[in-house]
Amino acid sequence: MEQATSTYDLLDRLGKGDESAFTALFERYQKRLALLIHYKLSPEMRRLTEVEDVLQETFLEAFRDIEQFRYEKPGGFFGWLARIDDHVIADAARFHGRQKRRAGEVVRFRSVGTPDGPEPVDSATPSRLLAEKEKLLALIQRLDRLPEDYRRVILLAKVEGLSNAEIAEQLGRTREATALLLHRAIKRFRALRESGTAQ
Amino acid sequence: MTEQGDNSAGADPGRQPYRDREQLIANAVAAYVDLQLQGEAVDTDAYCRAYPELDPELRAQILALDELDTVLLPSETPGAGQPPKAAELPERLSGHKILGEIGRGGMGRVLLALDERLGRKVAVKTLNPRYADNPKLRARFMSEARALARLSHPNVVRIYNLGSADEEPHFVMEYIEGASLTEVARRLALSQKIALMLKVILTVDFLHQRQVIHRDLKPGNILVGPDLEPKVLDFGLALQGDDLGPRLTQAGEIMGTPDYFSPEQAQGHAPLDARSDIFSLGTILYELITGAPPFRADSARDQIRLICERDPALPRRINSAIPGELQNVCLKALEKDPSQRYQSAREMADDLARFLAGEPVLALPSSYARMIAGKVEQHVRELGGWRQDRILSEQEFDSFRKLYDRLIDREDAWIMEVRRLSLSQVSLYLGAWLLVAGAALIVLFRYVGLSGAAPLAVVSGATASAYYLGIRGWRGGRQRIGVAFLLAFCLLLPTLLVIAMNEWGLFSAFTKGREDLELYSLFSAFKNTTNAQLWWAILLSLPVYGWLRRFTRSSVFSLVIAVMTALLGLVTLLRMGLIEWFDADPGKVYFHLIPIAALFFAAGLAIERSGFSSDSRYFYPIAVGFTIIALSGVAAFHQPYAEWLRSVAPVTRAQVEYLFVINASIYLALQYACERLSSPQTRWVAKSFRFVIPGHVMASLLLLGMAASGLWEQSPANNNLRLEARIFEVLLPAVACLFIFGSVVKQMKNFFVTGLLFLGIGVIRLQQDLFKDRAAWPLSLLVIGFLLMLAAANHDLIKRAVRRAAKKIVRR
Repeated sequence: MEQATSTYDLLDRLGKGDESAFTALFERYQKRLALLIHYKLSPEMRRLTEVEDVLQETFLEAFRDIEQFRYEKPGGFFGWLARIDDHVIADAARFHGRQKRRAGEVVRFRSVGTPDGPEPVDSATPSRLLAEKEKLLALIQRLDRLPEDYRRVILLAKVEGLSNAEIAEQLGRTREATALLLHRAIKRFRALRESGTAQ
Repeated sequence: MTEQGDNSAGADPGRQPYRDREQLIANAVAAYVDLQLQGEAVDTDAYCRAYPELDPELRAQILALDELDTVLLPSETPGAGQPPKAAELPERLSGHKILGEIGRGGMGRVLLALDERLGRKVAVKTLNPRYADNPKLRARFMSEARALARLSHPNVVRIYNLGSADEEPHFVMEYIEGASLTEVARRLALSQKIALMLKVILTVDFLHQRQVIHRDLKPGNILVGPDLEPKVLDFGLALQGDDLGPRLTQAGEIMGTPDYFSPEQAQGHAPLDARSDIFSLGTILYELITGAPPFRADSARDQIRLICERDPALPRRINSAIPGELQNVCLKALEKDPSQRYQSAREMADDLARFLAGEPVLALPSSYARMIAGKVEQHVRELGGWRQDRILSEQEFDSFRKLYDRLIDREDAWIMEVRRLSLSQVSLYLGAWLLVAGAALIVLFRYVGLSGAAPLAVVSGATASAYYLGIRGWRGGRQRIGVAFLLAFCLLLPTLLVIAMNEWGLFSAFTKGREDLELYSLFSAFKNTTNAQLWWAILLSLPVYGWLRRFTRSSVFSLVIAVMTALLGLVTLLRMGLIEWFDADPGKVYFHLIPIAALFFAAGLAIERSGFSSDSRYFYPIAVGFTIIALSGVAAFHQPYAEWLRSVAPVTRAQVEYLFVINASIYLALQYACERLSSPQTRWVAKSFRFVIPGHVMASLLLLGMAASGLWEQSPANNNLRLEARIFEVLLPAVACLFIFGSVVKQMKNFFVTGLLFLGIGVIRLQQDLFKDRAAWPLSLLVIGFLLMLAAANHDLIKRAVRRAAKKIVRR
């Protein structure tokens, strides 16, 4: 798990103009965000829009608006990213009504044409994501086999990084019921792996 | 080994209903996720061991969560999410035969081993294999052990040996057979607990002096042997203070519930200093004396919130037998703000030692201030500010603090007092009052329907029934009602006696044979009750009051005795011809009050010294009242006093104002005398005398100055009068300044306020006369004011400079 202070430090460095910190933040959160985006996209959107496009766009917007972000508590930054990707997805959905979008247009990292953009996130990033995509895909497959509410609670806890109390509030359940739901979800998740390895 | 542990732990919880158990696991899992969310590196092993009864399932769940993390988190984090390697016990370490596992810490395990050469058991601490591959961590682990090995203290676990490089990283330490601090403390008396805690604190101070901060002080890390010697161990989180960076111990920060963490530690603020350990010590002390740690919540998240935000419940609320001073020490260590805590373990130890020795402790926990509403809270803060600016000395601050402490102590009693005023109560006392008033009317006035023996019968009936009901109420356990009836009886009794004497014609002789000296002669409507009858009625009642005081042991009858004795004194004066004096020589009246006042002082002292201090407290106010009235009256009216002054100092022209100044000095002398007697009551007396001094002196000086100026104006050529007027003009502000600075000594605000007021008046008088139309006067006032303020603001510096200068002079 990441260190609270280090996310804070990275944001601090970024605030002081150290753009390499942004790369580190991207690294830190990209997989969780990718998974989140995957489940936020409707099945047809998943086909049309690459998860990675939304991911890149989200980070780009985050970079642009980083000044508006106030670090209040651990996990706050991810929550902020998650809200940004909501916009990005909504924009993408509107956009798709008119025109299919290409990945290349979305990513406008710093180049001759866009000198204000962030430093290109580690040029290997897309491919690294791909390299670990296999694991991520396996995870998605397993999550897909979970009942909806189980998957949701796992995503809220482990991907969105909400506390038990926050999840309880969002689901409209008591804390104890939420804890129980998460517990059972993880149990089922484990059972999937065990049956998976048995095959 | 892990597997075995799992099985044995999993075998017994069959007792719990399945559903409850599932909920418990679910809660533990949720708490784990919450902990991770806090951004803490949670040690899986340690966390699972915090819930041994949930072990196999909880561990499996947490491993699954960690597995999710391996996919979702950046892969370069070393070792993150990897399931811990199955830990097998090594055969031997440092040549010692390993016997088994004692426990697990954040960074590794503790094994029990046998030192075969010396034939003793030792404990071997190993580094968790998941960190062992990391050469950096490994090096730090060993250097940590080396640092601890340099510490030699009877209450710190000793390090015997460091593992060699070719073995798995470990070190060998003393094996302690003992129980945890709280377990042992349960069987100890309070003073033993405190003595034990004192040893722990001194040990921590020893560590701090060697730049080692423990960071994980908790009862479980303090083992107590059968000899009641504590041993501090498990420096798993220890940090060397000289190295600001967190060390090896980063790896397993939060384990289980952080019950004993300081706020700054719970919030993950690095670097921590010694004061974080002080907080943990406070938590342990709190648990020792109350039986439970001050902050306890279901989840680590709530726990952290409590630690950071909530004031602990007052130990005395939990157990009223806990001394207030001990509570103060405890709360002081538990301040949220490190700068409010004890700044070193030594300070805390000293305060605790003070408590053990029965001396007052220094601690003033700020949670008190929060508890007292409004003004007091504000005032305490203000005082703290003054102290910080070094305008208030430590002693002054302490004396204020003590006052507030007393205030808080009385909080409950005060509420009870207020609540005692109920409707039925008011009715009870009102009834008694009306009863007495009715009887008094019968005594004082003549009534057509009540003549002959009738008034006697009525009042004696009322008196007897009041007495009967009072005694019955008292005996029946209804003390307050009994006292109310008996008080009514106390007032009815002399009334009855007067009526009886009237009826039977006893003591009907006039004072000095003259009717015009009788009290009733002043009021034509009154019955002919003679002074002698009054005197005897009161005198005869006094023994009855004394008996009631003895019978009920209620000091309210002492009040009755005191008041009635005062009346007796006044009636005595009546019998000596008071009414005549009033017309002829009022000074004589006041002069004769002096012996009465002296008698009251003597009575108060005698009663107090014979052990009835609650009874004596009614005599002193009467004595003080008589003294002040008598001296003022004598100064104002007593001719011989003025004559004496004229003969001693003709300059004074026997002006009354001089006599008031003399009176003030008499009060001063009385005040010193009372202070010397040094009982709480006489101290109160001293205070009340002190209270009237500044008004007497300053007002007299002002009036004298004005009189002198008036005289001088009438004959401007007279140099003597001019000199006198000038002297008074300067004297007034000078004495005012004296009072202002003198107010510091006894903390008398009235001196201060009076001084300020009259200084202002003095300044204006000077401007009116001596410095008329001179700009230098206000300007010099401005400059002096500024200089004074600057001096006060830097009063510490000046003090030191003066001291240094004084030393130099002495050396020469």
